[in-house]
Amino acid sequence: MSELKPWLKLISARPGRLCIGALLMLAALLSGLGLLALSGWFITETALVGLLLAASLPATINLYVPGGGIRFFAVSRTVSRYLERLYNHDTVLRLLTDIRVALFRELASVGRVRRRELTGAQWLSRLTNDVDALDTLYLRLIAPAALAAFVTLLVIVLPAVLFNSAIASGIALILGVAFLLATLAVYLRTAKVTSRQSDQQESLRTAVIEHLEGFAELTAAGRTGKHGAWLLRQAHQSSSQQVKADCRIGWHQAGSNLLINLAAVFALWSGFALFRSGEISGPVLVLIPIALLGLAEVYGMLPEAFGKLGATQASAARLNRDCREDAFSVAAATTVLPEGAALVANDLAVKYPENAPLFTHFDLQVKTGERVGILGHSGSGKSSLADVFSGLLMPSSGACANLPCAYLTQQTVLFEDTLRANLLLASPSATDAELWRILERVDLAERFRSEGDQLDTWLGSSGSRLSGGEARRVALARVLLSPAPLLVLDEPFTGVDRVTREKITLQIDAWLEGKTVISLAHAPDALPGTDRVVQLGL
Amino acid sequence: MTELQVESGAVKRWLSGLASGNRRWIQGSVAAGTFAGIATIVQMIFLARIVHLGVIEKASSSVLAPLFTGLVLAIVFRAVAQGVQTHLAARCSEQVRRTARRQIHQHWRHRGPLLLGQTSAGSLAREWIDHVDALHGYFARFLPQMALSLIVPLIILVLVFYLDWLAGIFLLLSAPLIPLFMALVGMGAEKLNQQHFETISRLSGQFLDKVRGLTTLQLFGQTDGAAELIQQRSDHYRRITLKTLRVAFLSSAVLEFFASVAIAVIAIYIGFGLLGYITYGPSSDLTLFSGLLILLLAPEFFQPLRTLSQCYHDRAAALGAGAEILARLGDEPAPNPLAGATEDTIDKRLSVSNPLTHRESVELNSVSLALRADHPILRDVSLSIRKGEVIALTGPSGSGKSTLLHLLAGFLTPDNGNIDLFGKQAGSFAFGWLGQSGFLVHGTWADNLRLTSPDVSDVAIETALRNVGLGPLLDSRKEGIFSTVSEDGQGLSGGQARRLSLARIFVADYDVILLDEPTAGLDSDSEIFVLEALHKLALAGKTLIFSTHHYALLALANRVLLVSGGEVTDV
Repeated sequence: MSELKPWLKLISARPGRLCIGALLMLAALLSGLGLLALSGWFITETALVGLLLAASLPATINLYVPGGGIRFFAVSRTVSRYLERLYNHDTVLRLLTDIRVALFRELASVGRVRRRELTGAQWLSRLTNDVDALDTLYLRLIAPAALAAFVTLLVIVLPAVLFNSAIASGIALILGVAFLLATLAVYLRTAKVTSRQSDQQESLRTAVIEHLEGFAELTAAGRTGKHGAWLLRQAHQSSSQQVKADCRIGWHQAGSNLLINLAAVFALWSGFALFRSGEISGPVLVLIPIALLGLAEVYGMLPEAFGKLGATQASAARLNRDCREDAFSVAAATTVLPEGAALVANDLAVKYPENAPLFTHFDLQVKTGERVGILGHSGSGKSSLADVFSGLLMPSSGACANLPCAYLTQQTVLFEDTLRANLLLASPSATDAELWRILERVDLAERFRSEGDQLDTWLGSSGSRLSGGEARRVALARVLLSPAPLLVLDEPFTGVDRVTREKITLQIDAWLEGKTVISLAHAPDALPGTDRVVQLGL
Repeated sequence: MTELQVESGAVKRWLSGLASGNRRWIQGSVAAGTFAGIATIVQMIFLARIVHLGVIEKASSSVLAPLFTGLVLAIVFRAVAQGVQTHLAARCSEQVRRTARRQIHQHWRHRGPLLLGQTSAGSLAREWIDHVDALHGYFARFLPQMALSLIVPLIILVLVFYLDWLAGIFLLLSAPLIPLFMALVGMGAEKLNQQHFETISRLSGQFLDKVRGLTTLQLFGQTDGAAELIQQRSDHYRRITLKTLRVAFLSSAVLEFFASVAIAVIAIYIGFGLLGYITYGPSSDLTLFSGLLILLLAPEFFQPLRTLSQCYHDRAAALGAGAEILARLGDEPAPNPLAGATEDTIDKRLSVSNPLTHRESVELNSVSLALRADHPILRDVSLSIRKGEVIALTGPSGSGKSTLLHLLAGFLTPDNGNIDLFGKQAGSFAFGWLGQSGFLVHGTWADNLRLTSPDVSDVAIETALRNVGLGPLLDSRKEGIFSTVSEDGQGLSGGQARRLSLARIFVADYDVILLDEPTAGLDSDSEIFVLEALHKLALAGKTLIFSTHHYALLALANRVLLVSGGEVTDV
């Protein structure tokens, strides 16, 4: 359970809200129970009085209190249920925000090397599922379980007062077993199955992705059918596990229902003894079993919620792992930046574990205001070198020192937001005029002036409303906007056609006056203007 | 992401198509649910009878004992029926999901590797796994409950009418025709769910967007700003959502209200009837038995509807997931030569190694292809390649080298003309294919090679791996070909992965081997091994066709073809 601790702490940061929500839930549950129990009492009472009246014997009955009570419960059940749902959905949405913000801050503090393994589409979709599992932890599990326990106690106190303590303890025993059956037992019986299923799901996902990546080879070899059938079997196995868990949940639900009903039968049977001896009246005899029958609804949600607890724990454990700090950080040699230099790299090497080094003994000195181009074929380690310059990656040996830099990564990253918001990341205080000026430099001003929303044009997910070249130029504009004295541009013109590329190269030349620029590309014509060119990997 | 809009009618038709294949399970689940409902009714009859006999007629415990036995039996029967119901429902969903996955996989195969490659493997995998799983609740809970919410209340209604027709009318009036009620619940719940799901998915979309760009945010020092933005946006959405929820929850509140009021009205009516205050109608015949029974049945009358309204989010989830799956399935199928063939026949056609027929050459006759209407890639290309020839395709990038390879592989079909490989259709037999990215699966070296050639010997596997220069790596692993490819969670380099793919071709003994830029982006070590391996394959008499710019590969070829301007010419 320890994996849930940080998340429970986060959830319980709103104690007032949780309490009010729980009280509203309690009001709804008690109104439901009260309505049935009081109605049962009332009917029995009237039946007895009716018999006396029919026999012309003197009898009185107070119709106003129970009648009023029944009407009150009917209304309070509706109202409290409505308020409870509204209020608790509000709470869930608030918790959702809390969890996401906290997780985001955690992830932001995790080192880049770790995150590199974590940014695939696969990881992102898993992250969504895992966060979703935690959102409803309070509403589905904690609150209903606590309330069920509380209502159970109330329902046990009732026979203790009205019947006797022996009967009450018998009922308590049966209900205790029913409660355990609906909660802890479900958890114990499904935790292993669901966590196995959750693991299977993960390896299945990997296998499906491998299948799709190798689809051409498999098709050529005529094996897509056989391999696909194997995947189907794996998927089927995983759903069989889920079915197994579902069946167990279902049987536990049925079992706890059975016990609740048996508790009602027990209360009725033992109540008859008291009734015959005149210790209790008929209406009271009926009230308790009917109240007990109403408990079934209170317990209804529990088995399923506890059946998912195993998976929720697994989700929490995965999220905790994702947020784990890097165990090690390489303490690379440091070097001092000499006067007039923008970047000094001494004897750099970058090597990923189990792979040959990308490059070794890389030396570079860049004076302020210099424009340096670095050429290398794909796979030669250009992007890793740029990562080292920008401080995202620690070199495996050597040292690097440089002025503060703005870095255009090889991958174009735009946010699902307005053009303005995307640009302002680099320089939050930039004016609209400045933004237009930089858009002109990258030949995009006309493109966005024609849009109705101008700078507020929505860029869509990952800039999907732009072409690849346009998105690249927005990212380039953003880096150009940055006040940093050193710019590192990794393949700045990916997806930009030759004519535009040449035009932009000319237009940004004046803008870059006084700045130091290091640009990296696979071919000379993909570089903006340079004073000198360095070849990487020769 | 598929932006394709699928009308909800089509999704519903697809879902009911899936259901019809598994009707037995759903019917079984409904039958079990009905039995549980009947057992509940019987339980209430016994309960009311016992109370009536015990309280009014002061019956002794020996009279009550058999009734108590009946009561307990009914309760046990009810629990068993409930258990069986969930059991069958879960099985049903299992079968449905299997069917859906098979459908999607079949569609993948019909689209072929080329079109499939245009969508990210991650999102395809998500559709295949998560979206299909999202169908679970619909089949396991919603569909059976839909039937039960008609059947069970109807049985109860009949019984109540028999006991006291006035109370029956109360029930009927308070649920003014169940279909109307269901529509009401449905509309409210649907709107609610749509709103809720939209909000949640928008929020998670924005959250993921920020997580995806976390490095960029870090580079600009904007992570705090982004966290605040997530907070603000979430809060904004929360407020909007709550506005709609306030209205949407009303529909279920109406159901709740009718249920509560019906119980209250019936309780008061029965009470006054028992007191003899009501002189009109059947109330003079009321006893504690019939009165209590009606009261006990009243909540059971509404319970199935309430359960159904709780299942509505299952339906919304299934409709959402179904729409995305259907948008994918609805993608215009590839003009694949294998389209229309059933799953098994494709494999059979491919795996049976037909003896080579009379034609000992690869023939292209006036083949034309345009990927877009105004943009022909190949124009009227005719070509003859003899068996055992080593062909290099060269030419400027985008000139159609890869397209020509895809045509020969059968991944694409020509608009005009025909392609014939040793008397067989392109793609109708097994051949070697090496794409630009290597491909490996989690598992041992042997697993990786047996993926495409399941029957080869261990020795053949080891030889093949040594042939592509993976020998030293293999020797460094303790269990040889039975050690996992990616030990310690570390993968192979791009070059090693491509050599592994090449080893698959070595071990399989194909007659035709097609390779797309086999040395592009390789380190010099890997390059040498690939060249050597190709040389060995050429010496073994294989027909090799590859696209390349690499001088050493051009030298290896005994015929170089220039693909340019839609034409293919000998150099």
